[in-house]
Amino acid sequence: MLTIDELERYDRQIMLREIGKEGQEKLKKARVFIAGAGGLGSTAAIYLTAAGIGNIRIVDRDTVELSNLNRQVLHWDEDRGRSKVDSAFEKLKRLNPDVKIEAIQETITEANINSLLAGCELIVDAMDNLPTRYLLNKASLKHHIPFFHGAVYGFEGRAMTIIPPKTACLRCVYRGVPPEERFPVMGTTPAVIGCIQATEVIKYILGIGKLLTNTLLNYDALNMEFRAFKVKKDPHCEHCGQVKERSK
Amino acid sequence: MGQIIRIHQALRHLTNNQSAVEVDGKTVGKCLAELVERFPGMKPKLFGTNGKLLSYVDIYVNAESSYPEELDKAVNDGDTLSVTIIIAGG
Repeated sequence: MLTIDELERYDRQIMLREIGKEGQEKLKKARVFIAGAGGLGSTAAIYLTAAGIGNIRIVDRDTVELSNLNRQVLHWDEDRGRSKVDSAFEKLKRLNPDVKIEAIQETITEANINSLLAGCELIVDAMDNLPTRYLLNKASLKHHIPFFHGAVYGFEGRAMTIIPPKTACLRCVYRGVPPEERFPVMGTTPAVIGCIQATEVIKYILGIGKLLTNTLLNYDALNMEFRAFKVKKDPHCEHCGQVKERSK
Repeated sequence: MGQIIRIHQALRHLTNNQSAVEVDGKTVGKCLAELVERFPGMKPKLFGTNGKLLSYVDIYVNAESSYPEELDKAVNDGDTLSVTIIIAGG
């Protein structure tokens, strides 16, 4: 049941015929895992918290650095040196005290990923590296947990929604790992992509609209273009299909 | 008429900042060969030493993935190829 305060807080979205009180209650019951409290994770977490997702578990291993602050809007100058998840917990609770926030400072690994995900129904990919994204992709497939991918570089961002085992997974689309680098990023890019990821999560929970399944959405901020690349489930995918040797 | 190759943002400095290059080929491989001939700096960004596409490069033809045919995928006049590389920032 929604409280009187919740009915007022979410009034503008409850007004939407796609949501209503019933939809808002679905959001309240949802349990979302956010992998990363950086640029993508900050935006996704803020909007999911504001929208009234009832239970959010956010995981990140890092502490806040000055060079994070052009894009990681959950963290402020005063948070330098503090763990990102502590900073995230405080801001998200201040934004919406009704949301249950679990903040875990951990590195996501093959050994702990199942326990970290336990009880969560959706995964938001807000990582900054592909190997961990691939771990999340595998876990999503193993547990049939929808996976909401996002990634950024400079003025470019991408988003894709994966509903295992029905739709193309991350590994169907990405087959390699680019060389590690300290990537450049304009702060507005993860803001746009994190919002898209949060929107996809909300649509999925409510069962409304058309999801970015079998679609890699590419955002080119410099030319202000969105392009939807069609992708297919790969029957030979290393993660969701039959194992096949790939060129390195 | 040929094809248009859209160049990924991170590679445009190798094509004199052109976001699109016109080529004329019958397959993805032939189109990319012309691209690389005109802009040699693109070669190590697209191909490994074995001559195969790097695993983190993807080519889309009219917004559809060229995988698994990739270089052998046939193209038509008027097609648009998009050269993309995997991005991983968060």
